[in-house]
Amino acid sequence: MAEYRAEVVIWMLSGTLSLVMMLVWMAQAAAAPGGQIRGYSAPEFATYFLSTWLVSQLLVVWVSHELDFQIRQGTLSPQLLRPVDPMWLHVASHVAERLVRIVPLLVMVGVFTWLSGASFTREWWAYPAALGLAALGFSVRFLYEYAIGLLAFWTESSASFQEVVWLVYAALGGMFAPLAFYPEWVQRVAVWTPFPYMLGLPAQLLAGKATLAQAGRGALVLLVWLAVFWVVRLIVWRVGLRKYGAVGA
Amino acid sequence: MRRYLRLVRIFVGATLSAQLEYRANFLGAVLASLGEVGVALLGISVLFGQPGVTQVGGWSFREALLVTGFFMLTEGVISVFIQPNMSKIAEAVRTGNMDFTLLKPIDAQFNVSTRNLNVLRFPDLLIGLGLIGYAASGLEVTSGGALAAAVLYGSAVVIVYCIYLGLSTTAFWFVKTQNVTELFSGVFGAARFPVAAFPVPVRFVLTFVLPVAFITTVPAQALTGALGGGLALASPLIAAALFLGTRLFWRYAVASYTSASS
Repeated sequence: MAEYRAEVVIWMLSGTLSLVMMLVWMAQAAAAPGGQIRGYSAPEFATYFLSTWLVSQLLVVWVSHELDFQIRQGTLSPQLLRPVDPMWLHVASHVAERLVRIVPLLVMVGVFTWLSGASFTREWWAYPAALGLAALGFSVRFLYEYAIGLLAFWTESSASFQEVVWLVYAALGGMFAPLAFYPEWVQRVAVWTPFPYMLGLPAQLLAGKATLAQAGRGALVLLVWLAVFWVVRLIVWRVGLRKYGAVGA
Repeated sequence: MRRYLRLVRIFVGATLSAQLEYRANFLGAVLASLGEVGVALLGISVLFGQPGVTQVGGWSFREALLVTGFFMLTEGVISVFIQPNMSKIAEAVRTGNMDFTLLKPIDAQFNVSTRNLNVLRFPDLLIGLGLIGYAASGLEVTSGGALAAAVLYGSAVVIVYCIYLGLSTTAFWFVKTQNVTELFSGVFGAARFPVAAFPVPVRFVLTFVLPVAFITTVPAQALTGALGGGLALASPLIAAALFLGTRLFWRYAVASYTSASS
């Protein structure tokens, strides 16, 4: 992974949605009477969106693209001959990429913090809590993206499913605005999904706007979803393999 | 000229029949289009959904929706006409297929720019036009404004094409360029909002350093009649300069191309 340093940095910068939203909300807050929107001032928006950006960088998963490619090109076949589930190869490469990513990521967050006037929480426990939630969130996201990638056994549209799921993740995760800014019915739906707990909640922890109790509850929800997607992935994998063999590929 | 028009017709026919072979892809393309319009609309509706917010950077909801419409339309133009061609340049350089393109008795830049088409993303164009139409129906639009918007949008498309071609042409040296175009689409994401919605220094960057403002905000302003003469003139000038620049850059790249095998 360290071989592709430039590429890693470019991919990091291309995930700009939260940065764009940050700038727009900061300008909005600065123009609003009292300098606030729903209790958020411009620097607080900066803190929240920089946190979402940081967390979303830790949650990046591209496994469905790779599965799509492997299944279509047949490069999955040699991997099936090995005694380990090919999933662990993908896990390893994702984790390795995160290690390469972390240093330039922290440098960039530092620069953006200095430019935007953001200020992160001083409570030490918020950092391990946010990191733990991000790790759980990554695992959940990895598993459901893996299941979507495996849809390539049946359809050529798995990439578009992935795009649509990304939209739901970005929306309910709070990439456009803190979840409290959404219409109430959206919030009521969102609490049943894993998305607010993997992206918005760790970001709120870093911004000093969430409690340890909320983090614990979020972790429990994520664990339940982790179990669900573990089973889903396993079923799709088993059924899909049978289909893959049947084509004679 | 006649010959080139005939070639365009042949290219379109060829890609059409190649793409319609995979019907299942159609479902995927529709999903992707819906996803994109969803992101665009969600961003602006959450922004305007806050209590007390009626304007963003001096733009009303309808006016901002106009910008979103131009944004969707441009996403459509990119995914139907530009991206399918440009992504193939790097591949052709890597595999040596560029040799065949350069040997053909037609202009190579014309060939690489028009050969492919992604018809499946055609709905994006309709969604964009629909949004523009809907937003404009609630605003006062003169026929002069509409004409100016159409002309300025034309130069916006040229600007987008030139940026993409310029970035893809670097493939002659760097081979892997998919990442660079990805970087541009990241920046282009800012075009879903009027530039006035950004803090002043960012606004400056989006107008003069990376001409994103000319792609969506300027045509929308022309449509509502809020455009000053300076920006109206700047847009076609920038488009012409970029076109000339990328044309020279392309010629230079082709001249220094040494094929994949040598």
